[in-house]
Amino acid sequence: MKKKKRITLHRRESLTGWAFLTSAALLILIMSFVPIIKAFILSFKTGIGANMEYTGITNYVRMFQDGVFMQSLKNTFFYLIIQVPIMLILALILASMLNGRNLRLKGLFRTCIFLPCATSLVSYAIVFKSLFASDGLVNLILIKLGILDTAYNFLGNVGSARIIIIIALIWRWTGYNMVFYLSGLQNIEYSVYEAAKIDGAGVFQQFFRITIPLLRPTILLTTIMSVNGTLQLFDESVNLTNGGPANGTITMSHYIYNVSFKYVPGFGYAAAMSFLILVLVAVLAFVQMKVGDKRD
Amino acid sequence: MKKRIIALLLSLVMTVGLAACGSNSDNGGTSSTGNSGTGTEDAIVTEDGAAADEGTTSEGGNTLTVWCWDPAFNIAAMEAAEAVYQKENPDFELNIVETPWEDVQKKLTTAATSGDLSTLPDIMLMQDNAFQKNTISYPDAFVDLSGSAIDFSNFGESKVAYSVVNGANYGVPFDNGTCIGCYRIDLLEQAGLTVDDFTDITWSQYIENGKKVLDATGKPLLSMIAGESDLICEMLQSAGASMFNEDGSANLVGNSTMEEIMEIYVELVNAGVLVEVNDWTEYTESITKGSVAGTINGCWILATIQTLEDESGNWGITNMPRLEKVAGATNYSNNGGSSWAVTSNCENTDLAFDFLAKTFAGSVELYETILPSTGAMATYLPAGDSDVYAEPQEFFGSEAIYAKITDYSEKVPSNITGVYYYEARDAVATAVTNAVGGSDIAKEIQTAEDTLNFNMGK
Repeated sequence: MKKKKRITLHRRESLTGWAFLTSAALLILIMSFVPIIKAFILSFKTGIGANMEYTGITNYVRMFQDGVFMQSLKNTFFYLIIQVPIMLILALILASMLNGRNLRLKGLFRTCIFLPCATSLVSYAIVFKSLFASDGLVNLILIKLGILDTAYNFLGNVGSARIIIIIALIWRWTGYNMVFYLSGLQNIEYSVYEAAKIDGAGVFQQFFRITIPLLRPTILLTTIMSVNGTLQLFDESVNLTNGGPANGTITMSHYIYNVSFKYVPGFGYAAAMSFLILVLVAVLAFVQMKVGDKRD
Repeated sequence: MKKRIIALLLSLVMTVGLAACGSNSDNGGTSSTGNSGTGTEDAIVTEDGAAADEGTTSEGGNTLTVWCWDPAFNIAAMEAAEAVYQKENPDFELNIVETPWEDVQKKLTTAATSGDLSTLPDIMLMQDNAFQKNTISYPDAFVDLSGSAIDFSNFGESKVAYSVVNGANYGVPFDNGTCIGCYRIDLLEQAGLTVDDFTDITWSQYIENGKKVLDATGKPLLSMIAGESDLICEMLQSAGASMFNEDGSANLVGNSTMEEIMEIYVELVNAGVLVEVNDWTEYTESITKGSVAGTINGCWILATIQTLEDESGNWGITNMPRLEKVAGATNYSNNGGSSWAVTSNCENTDLAFDFLAKTFAGSVELYETILPSTGAMATYLPAGDSDVYAEPQEFFGSEAIYAKITDYSEKVPSNITGVYYYEARDAVATAVTNAVGGSDIAKEIQTAEDTLNFNMGK
């Protein structure tokens, strides 16, 4: 009894808080951080299967001499540079349209645009694959409309295969980002827009002068998440194009998977490549935070 | 009230979802007794799966756990083998766990790299193409079968070679991947051809015939998956050539067989005799929907063709075309197939050896049972002489195709798959794709060899 009295209310609350945190923190530590450290150690080892030995930074040097990995790096950045801006701008436009006060059936539109996010990555990739197959719907329509004479093998040509992956990504993720923007827009007081209107600001001025600046934190968040997600792109490359034609669409994660499971297992090398992705994600996120954060 | 109903429905969905996940990972080796349990129980079993695993392998000394993947094919064969063996050993029991090949590979990799082999079954089915890679990467995970009573001379030589590492036998050959050419008789007729025109021919004759069929019917003779090197590998093996040398080094540059194959492949595509498709589904559809006049593949493709019931009698089977310029070219090759391996986790190896010796490596009766039901072509040569194999098959113009294919399988030249087989396949597939796109063949082969050497750490 004596002891209990000595603990102040504040202290007790903070202890309770820590007690709740500990279990989660411990789980994260064991399930996440320990494997990360183990993988980091692994990335300095080479060898076939279970016979591994330390070879220093050879794995990290090796990946820059690896033609296929460099190709996958280029492909991933191609997706990143083209897809992320298009997707985020689309999401922003859709969100501000759906936030309009006079729009009817808002709920329906929101659901429709968000719905793709509820589909599994594998199944939507397969649907896109069959859409763009040689005898798929897209070819059928283009032939019927007289735009094409014979079926075009969309997935068999590097350029069109990449574009299809980008279209698929936009379809799948725009709604997801839109939801973030919508929730961000809810936090902007309508009176701000009203005041702007009274001052004579048009729709575009409102969008560029009010919406975008006030949404900056959300835009930053979605950019970091999208960049992060694109760098780890895997399902689309595996299921839509299987990395082909001739490694033209393979992503870094797909190649890491191949090195680990399809080929003679090179876990050390695979771990090293994974850490390169980590570094890339960290660097890009850091740059974006520096650029996006306008607080002095 | 409404909310409660929704909550109830949602939790129901989640439970079902959990159960689905649970029973999948349950394959890891927990006993199949879980089958009778409800979904939630399954999920719980999975969590302490490790504890349950040890029970399954040694249980009673009369039970063997097996991993294989196809209920209509290798699982059915294993069940038939169990029945055959039970006649002598009534106490014997098999615990067959359906595990897709991709999962077998991942579980094996995980178990062997972590050094904890206790999650492995006693016997697993392994793709022949991955056999060398796995046995060399994880030598401790498999048991040498050379000392057992299994007589490996009863199997086709090229088939056994897949599972021989450093002179030791690690696998009992199972299904047959002998290549066959399958042709639509009605479409050939329109071009004035018969199946005989495709028997014992060369690739240039094949292209000639293909052009005739294309002119007459507008259909290509053959479809292949772009970015896969199945056909390339089949052609290589038909001449006994490999992508590797005996010592394991890459054998692409200066490999005249490879050059000829690439030239033929590009010509096939350019002539429109071969149409490239994007995936397996498109490939099988091109056959089942009749957009091609035939195919060349391992004889397991018969299962796909035979789904076309209304085309009974309309298909003919013969051997594949051969290369011209290289010595030792034949009309016979192999694609795919699998073998049974015994893992080091097997405590009762005597039982496993005896089981395999008396079933897959010693029972004509077993192969007679599984052929009609599964279409599983044996690589066990004595089975080829069986009456069941000699029965005419109505679907294929009342020809005894099974005896014919067993005959082919004896003539398949052996070649070297090597440890880095999948790396080589991908490198060659990239080269072929680029060559079809108009790139210089010699340059592409050089790039493929560089990529392969890089992957091999040279």
